[in-house]
This record gives sequence, structure tokens and C-alpha cells, in this order.
Amino acid sequence: MNRRHALRHIALISGGLALIPSCDFSKDDILAAYQNLKVTTSQKVLLAAISDTIIPAGEIKGALDLEVPDFILVMVNDCFTKENQEKFTAGLTAFPAYAEKTAGKKFDALSTKEKEELILNGTKLEGDDTPEGKERGNIAYFLNSTKRFTIQGYMASEYIQTEIIPYSLIPGEYNGAVLISDLQKPRING
Amino acid sequence: MANLNIRSKQERTYQAIVIGSGISGAWAAKEFCDLGVKTLMLERGRNVEHIKDYPTTNMLPYEFPHRNQIPQEIQEANPVISRCYAFREDAMHFFVKDTDHPYVQEKPFDWIRGYQVGGKSLLWARQVQRWSDFDFDGPARDGFAVDWPIRYKDIEKWYSHVEKFAGVSGFKDGIAQLPDGEFLPGYELNVLEKYFAEQLKKHYGNDRHMISARCAHIHGNAEYFAQQGRAMCQNRNLCQRGCPFGGYFSSNASTIPWALKTGNLTLRPDAVVHSIIYDDEKGKATGVRIIDRLTKETEEFYSDVIFVNAAALNTNAILLNSTSNRFPNGLGNDNGLLGKFVAFHNYRARVSGQYEGHAEFTTSGGRPTSGYFPRFRNVYKQETDFLRGYAAGFSASRGSGPDTSGIGMDLKNSLLNPDKYGPWRVGSHMMGETIPKETNFVALDPNQKDEWGMPQLRISVDYDDNDEKMVKDYIEQMTEMFTKAGFTNIQSSDSKQAPGLDIHEMGGVRMGKDPKTSLLNANHQLHAVPNVYVTDGASMTSTSTQNPSLTYMAFAARAAHHAVAESKK
Repeated sequence: MNRRHALRHIALISGGLALIPSCDFSKDDILAAYQNLKVTTSQKVLLAAISDTIIPAGEIKGALDLEVPDFILVMVNDCFTKENQEKFTAGLTAFPAYAEKTAGKKFDALSTKEKEELILNGTKLEGDDTPEGKERGNIAYFLNSTKRFTIQGYMASEYIQTEIIPYSLIPGEYNGAVLISDLQKPRING
Repeated sequence: MANLNIRSKQERTYQAIVIGSGISGAWAAKEFCDLGVKTLMLERGRNVEHIKDYPTTNMLPYEFPHRNQIPQEIQEANPVISRCYAFREDAMHFFVKDTDHPYVQEKPFDWIRGYQVGGKSLLWARQVQRWSDFDFDGPARDGFAVDWPIRYKDIEKWYSHVEKFAGVSGFKDGIAQLPDGEFLPGYELNVLEKYFAEQLKKHYGNDRHMISARCAHIHGNAEYFAQQGRAMCQNRNLCQRGCPFGGYFSSNASTIPWALKTGNLTLRPDAVVHSIIYDDEKGKATGVRIIDRLTKETEEFYSDVIFVNAAALNTNAILLNSTSNRFPNGLGNDNGLLGKFVAFHNYRARVSGQYEGHAEFTTSGGRPTSGYFPRFRNVYKQETDFLRGYAAGFSASRGSGPDTSGIGMDLKNSLLNPDKYGPWRVGSHMMGETIPKETNFVALDPNQKDEWGMPQLRISVDYDDNDEKMVKDYIEQMTEMFTKAGFTNIQSSDSKQAPGLDIHEMGGVRMGKDPKTSLLNANHQLHAVPNVYVTDGASMTSTSTQNPSLTYMAFAARAAHHAVAESKK
């Protein structure tokens, strides 16, 4: 538990970097918090930008507000096989060049709509055995994993489960025939 | 190993010793204590006190660093336990890791264990269906194993006895092969499950039933259970973490605190049983030798009554390791059958589907049980090309999943407003009876030892042709029933999972009428050592299809009363 706490602190600090545009990234350190991955500070910033595109902030907080990038890296670091970790980091590494080649600009410089399109199309890339095909496969794997963990980390966050859609440890007596039309549907404005 | 214990023999003498604090051992201890018998209960694992030692019980989903997933490193180091459905971040501390307690698999066998006070009673699926004479008659009628020395009438009142105290919810369904019991109000099936039950009546008359499964959860009579310090089940479905309400039955919530309250129980955790001591001169067992889990010191405890409830395969291991001049091959093992005729339940196959109807309905809240198919194959007579049959679980559910195909604000809106209902999903899994065979056995490994110097268990258990035919039949029959009910997108699968993952391993110390072909008599006493009783899964002559824990509880209570009656003679 102590190790994890320490990691969270480091992750918090590095996550904070993403919000300071003047920060100097010339020394692109490998983040020690994710010891099974060789993820650099700038790669984590990129991952944060991608997760922010997948679930952006609005009236309700977005993925970046909830430290989802750290959650993604914790899950990949702790719960992926070595092979899948390699695919994920290869995809992450290849993504900036892919963005430039496909969209004609650096990811940062794209509009929200362009970013969304790039990521959605990227999740649908199909790989094959050629070196280019492998790279496409890695990018798709990286983006799909990132999207899945962004959704999980966002929905299963303290903020969502306490303030937005409160989770109850005691769900109440079972009703096996509830009319859907009788259910109240509070619209939550994302 | 030197016996460093200096406490006097008298201080280490009890009127009864129970080995194991799981579901059956704690029942034996509770009965003894209620009858005024000074009892020592030995448990190889650490103490787990009700509520106090349930560290995850009130944790929220976001408090688990991996949202309940087991990290890869742990999975890779512990492939066996990682295959267990309940081995998750919230309950992993109650399961034995492969690396801590190795064993030898002559054939693949997933041995799922819980080494702590309460054993697997903290982790069980809480399904409690009675056996009937269609089950006890099985071996004699169909010519396998040996005839059970008891019948339903011998155990009926003990089922009632344990059901009342444990708290069993269910309906009186009036089904011959699944006798009714002492039930608290049952949990209603949902609208689609009821529809399916009606369809079965329509297409199969009174031959096939799908009912609400009887479960060991408190669903009524709260005042009575308050005496045990337990409260109504809150439908949390987080049972494997340990229940702070005591809503489901476990040794920890119920029988152990009850027995402790009598003042007659001494609970000794961290006591790895080495063997049962047999006195050649006295011609009986006189005590139990343990190794302290932490200090590795040997200690002996003495009693005239010894109950072995270490969980099926470990009970075998203890008896096999209890050698003496009189019993060189294991305690009570004159016929060489100790460790043999091990069987289990066949949980390999599943069938799933969906239903487009009843689209206006969904469900709300939670419930601790689901649907249950009592066995319908070969009940009254042999009618298929395989022996015996299978029970099955069944459930229908309907969720409102969000559409996750989008991205950005669209995705966020969809996630926070999940109002798209898919069709009802239905699913079933088989619970097949397997035939005990001499070739399915456990033995002590002659060379490999564990951390305490105890021989490792070698397990050699496999499926046979009867099991393969049963898997095929279950898939065919369930597919047919689903089809007749109008379900669509019907899929079936055979996991080919190894025996053991069902966590219903049984036998090796079977009951029987004849000392030449069995180890235990009708009262659960070793034929050759009548002051040693076995009332856990090891005693099972055949397996039937029902989840076995209720039967072990009834066996333990019945045998404890027998032992007390014997001691008064």
C-alpha cells in the first residue's frame, strides 16, 4: 500500500505538469512510477490529452480532472501481460508521428473535432504482418486500451460514484418486474 | 522435532477435538458446545473474526486500485487460484495462493482452498438444496461406488436442524427430487425467469422445473437471528468479502461466535495438523499432533472424540499421514481404499441466449440467489446413455448499457445517461454428478514436502466418458428448452475446465455398510477407529448434483449428537 501511495504522489506531480504549458520537457524522464513500462513524462502528457479528448470536461468533470491518465498507466503496468504492455507502449510511441502523418499537424495543434476523428479512426485501424501493419495494429491496440481504461477509470471514480451517479453498497430489495416506463430518468448533463 | 510444549497433558485434554473450522467443522463444534462438551477446534490458518477481519467489506469500487482485477504478476505466479471466479482484488486475502501451498497434479486439478478460521464458508456460493432418496439410492440402483449406509429419513431432521439455525430462504416447491425444508420467505424469480418456468410446464408437463434456488441468506424472522448477532441480508452481493450484517451463513458469523458464547469452545488457529495419534495398546485414537504454523513447534492435544473436518482432500491427507503400527497405510485404512473414489461436480458447460419479449420490463435492487433446475435426467429410471444427471443454474437479467461507440461529449453523455436497454439475457450452467472411481484418487507424495515438513498431496482426478456424454446432453437439452421458450442467439460452450474448479471435490473416506469396501460407517465413524469421525466432503459415497455444503452441515450435526450419545453409554 505504501508503494502505491508513493506512486500516486509521483503520478499526481507528473500529471500536474500537463497543466503547466511553460514546463521544460527537454529532459524527457522515464517515469519510475510505472516500473514495467518505459513511459516518459511527455508521453504521459500525450496520454492525458488523448483521455481528455475521449471524455472531456464540461459542467461535469472530465477524465483529466479525475487523474484518469494515472489510472490507465497503473492498469497497463500492473494488469497487462508483458506482450500487451509492449504493444501498448509501441502504439503510444508511434502515435505522434501517426497524428502528424494522418492529420497533417501535431496532435496538440488539432481542433477538438480533428482530435476526436483521429482517435476514433485510429481505434479502427487493422494490423497485419508487415512492419507498417504491425504499427497500425499497435496504434489501434493502444487507442482501444486507452479508451476502455478511460471509460472504466472515469465511471469507477470517486467523483462519479459519489457526486454524479451515487453508488450504493445496499441496492435495496429486488424487484423482478419493473416497468421501464415507470423509471425516473434524471438527465445528467455531460 | 522436539516437543517444546511444557503445558501439562491435562491442560491439553478436551472432551472433543474438531479439526477444521469451515462449514462442517464449526457445525460439529457448535453442537458439542451446545451439549456442554468442552471442545477444541483446530484451524491451520489465521484467525478471522466476524466483521473485524473483513478489511474490504465496505470498500467502494473506486477504492480498489485495479477496480477488483488481480494484477498480472499475481496471476502468473498463481495460475490455479486465478482461475477461480471469486479470486478478485476484494477477496484475494481469503484464498490460498498456489505459491504458498504447493501440491502435485498428476492430472490437471484446480484445488481451491481457504486457509483461515471459517475456511471456505466465507467464500461459498450459499446454495443449499437438500438431497433426496433419488440421490442416496443412486449407487445401489445404478451399480457404482457402494451403497450409501443412510437414506433421506436418517438425515431429514438434521437438514431441518441446520436450516433453521443457518437461515435458508426458499419456496416449498413440492418437487420430489428436491425436498422442501425449513424455509424463510423465498426470493421471487424475475418476470423473465417466471416466463421460462411457465414455458417448461407448457412443453414438458411436470417433468422439468426451474425454481428460485434455496440460499443460506436471512430473508425473514430477524428477531430469531438477532440472537446470533446476525441481521437480514441486504442484497449487497459482496458476500465473498465477509458480510458485516451476517446476512449469509458462515462459520465466522454464526456457528463459531455461538459456540464461543457457551464458554465450551477453545479455538486454536495456526494449528497445522500433522496427524491423529493412535494408541496401539488402547486400540483407539487419543489425540492430535499439530505443528504451529508460525513457530513450527510441535504440540499435542488429547481427546476421546476426534472429528476430522479439514475439507475433503485435506481430511484425506491427514488420515493418510496418521500412521502407526496398527495402521501403517493411514488411519482406519485396512482395505487400502483411503484416498480413492474421489469425485466432484462437472461444471464445464454453459448455455446462453437472449429474449426479445417482455421488453417493457427490467429489474431493480439486488438479490442473493437466482434460478435452479433440479435434476430431470434419469430420476425415476435409467433413460439416457450416461448414468445419473445434472442440475443447472439459470438466470435472466436486463441492463441498460451505455453506447460506448462514440467519443468526446457524445460518449460522455451516453455514459452518464445509460438508457438504452438491450434484450433480456439468459444464461445457464450445468452441475453434473460424477461417478466415483478407484482411479480418481489422492495420495501423499513420497518425496515433496511443504513448509511444515508435511508430505504434499498428489492429486490424480479426471473426467470420464460419462462426463463427456453428460456435457453433450446438457447442451442439447438446454438448447432445446431455450429454443422452445423462444430464446434466440443461443450459444453454448464447454470450458473443459479442470476438475476442482467446481470447488465440490468429495470422497476418499467414503461411507458404506461394509468395512471391506468403505472407510466410514453410517454414523460417520471410521469402521476401524470408531472414536474418529469424518463429516466433511471426504465422507461422500457419491456426489449427486446439489451443492454439497448443506449436507455436510447436517452430517456434522448428526454425527456430533451421535458421539455425545456414545460417550454417555
